[in-house]
Amino acid sequence: MKGQIDLKRKISPATRGSFITYGMVTAAFIVTQILVSTGRVSNMFQGLLVPFCVYSIAAVSLNLTVGILGELSLGQAGFMCVGAYTGAIFSLMTKDAITSAWVRFPLALLIGGLAAAIFGVLIGIPVLRLRGDYLAIVTLAFGEIIKNVFAALYIGTDSRGVHVSLTSQGDLGLEPDGKMIINGALGISGAPKDSTFVIGFVVLLLTLIVMYNFINSRTGRAVMSIRDNRIAAESIGLNITKYKLITFGLTAFLGGVAGSLFSHNLAVLQASKFDYNLSILILVFVVLGGIGSMRGSVIAAVVLTLLPEVLRSINNYRMLIYSVVLIVMMIFTSNATIRGFFAANFAKLKGVIIKNKPDTAKEGV
Amino acid sequence: MALLEVKNLGITFGGLHAVDGFSMSIEKGELYGLIGPNGAGKTTCFNLLTGVYKPTMGTIYLDGENITGKSTIDINKAGIARTFQNIRLFSNLSVIDNVKAGLTNNYRYSTATGVFRLPKFFKTEKLMNEKAHELLKVFGLDEESSTMAANLPYGKQRKLEIARALATDPKLLLLDEPAAGMNPNETAELMNTIRFVRDEFDMTVLLIEHDMSLVSGICERLSVLNFGQLLCQGKTSDVLSDPEVITAYLGE
Repeated sequence: MKGQIDLKRKISPATRGSFITYGMVTAAFIVTQILVSTGRVSNMFQGLLVPFCVYSIAAVSLNLTVGILGELSLGQAGFMCVGAYTGAIFSLMTKDAITSAWVRFPLALLIGGLAAAIFGVLIGIPVLRLRGDYLAIVTLAFGEIIKNVFAALYIGTDSRGVHVSLTSQGDLGLEPDGKMIINGALGISGAPKDSTFVIGFVVLLLTLIVMYNFINSRTGRAVMSIRDNRIAAESIGLNITKYKLITFGLTAFLGGVAGSLFSHNLAVLQASKFDYNLSILILVFVVLGGIGSMRGSVIAAVVLTLLPEVLRSINNYRMLIYSVVLIVMMIFTSNATIRGFFAANFAKLKGVIIKNKPDTAKEGV
Repeated sequence: MALLEVKNLGITFGGLHAVDGFSMSIEKGELYGLIGPNGAGKTTCFNLLTGVYKPTMGTIYLDGENITGKSTIDINKAGIARTFQNIRLFSNLSVIDNVKAGLTNNYRYSTATGVFRLPKFFKTEKLMNEKAHELLKVFGLDEESSTMAANLPYGKQRKLEIARALATDPKLLLLDEPAAGMNPNETAELMNTIRFVRDEFDMTVLLIEHDMSLVSGICERLSVLNFGQLLCQGKTSDVLSDPEVITAYLGE
């Protein structure tokens, strides 16, 4: 009995919270897998499984910058774009060399993430001097620049090597045996469709583990200290720039991984997909799921990805219902009175459950 | 040699000499007070010592090391920690996490170690927890270690700020009006705590205070600032009976 109590005390609320999230995501995955294998799921829903994972990963990683570092970034789509293109190019070029998708795809994810992280750190060095609205504007602009550069990029290979142009396909001067990799605004086609729900789930779970471990570590504490009070954080010797860059880099890395996962789910990858609407959409997931709450980000990403598709059958009223749901969710998550009402009733419910527990425990002994 | 040696320190904002030609030297283990009427430049002086402002003249030596013009972060690493007049806690973090944030630079493991939960993470975190609890116990906060800092009562927030400053393992502790807003009982308790900290951690303390009972109760020496300039310096009892000081506080 005593041992049990000690064990209970050792688990901190933060650890318990993270394991609830892991459990929830895993349970949702298993249920979905069962439904899919028994054929009870529509094609539309099956097509959404990978996007669920992509948006969840992107939202969770953006939540690190928005919720934990406390800075508004609107450039998540830009990092996803870098990850998507780098990952797809890698897969396209190594398709013949590495035949096993089980080796190639994790590498593609990793490379997509690393490329985005490099961009993130390079951009972070000048940009993170800004705060608040200014940072949001600059990251938004960065995202647009990335998208437009990729949309104007032509890359091809032939026997003489790799050719790059920013004007047109003809400008590359490819030999007849040459192969286009990026065809400007038409993007990349022919990258292997390696993304599956299983891999998406594994990557999402890993992302959540990384995220929770990061927050509950020395670095995470320092980052949250900076968020809560920058002047005090400096006074205890925390290097603001360093911690901001680490956080921004990690957000970019995971955004890149999400992008790479996304690009391996598409027949044709086009830069126009990564416009600022995507950045805003992901920010909406973060805000509605609760700033700083990783679990909330996942739930919001899944619900808000599913909703427009489910509402397709009542096409005329689709956007109406979607916006009503958005407003209701906003009221529920930001209104202290309503939140307090739910918290109080939840506590009561918890009290009933806990009250009943000791009796069963006694019987057990 | 003195632990803190300030010579001819000054800063001007436009044409205003906020601090002008201020000198003092504090010996190791001393409880030193910096007093003066409102607007005399006491907090500006603290901001100069901690690198928030860069002095326009003068030098600051801490333990023989020239720290003039260094950044706040480097000055903290050199060994000066402070509290603030208006409390600046990490209000969304728990009490213990506030102290552990202060331990960040002294208990190291890399970000990757933390993310991948390598053995060093558990070892260092255990040491951090022990150290943090030890500090919290000094201030009677160990019962509330998992409370959110913002939810602490005012007096305890002040104490937590001191605990967090001590967590950075400083040589010199600067307290900016530690007794502000406290009732006489709390002030008396705080005086005991400050003395205890000095004795237990072998700390040197420089404090700004308006509460004369605290100043005369624990400070061994005082400097009085008035309009940015040093008015008087010396033993507490001598300074407090100095007619010039009384005039500065009470007027002609």
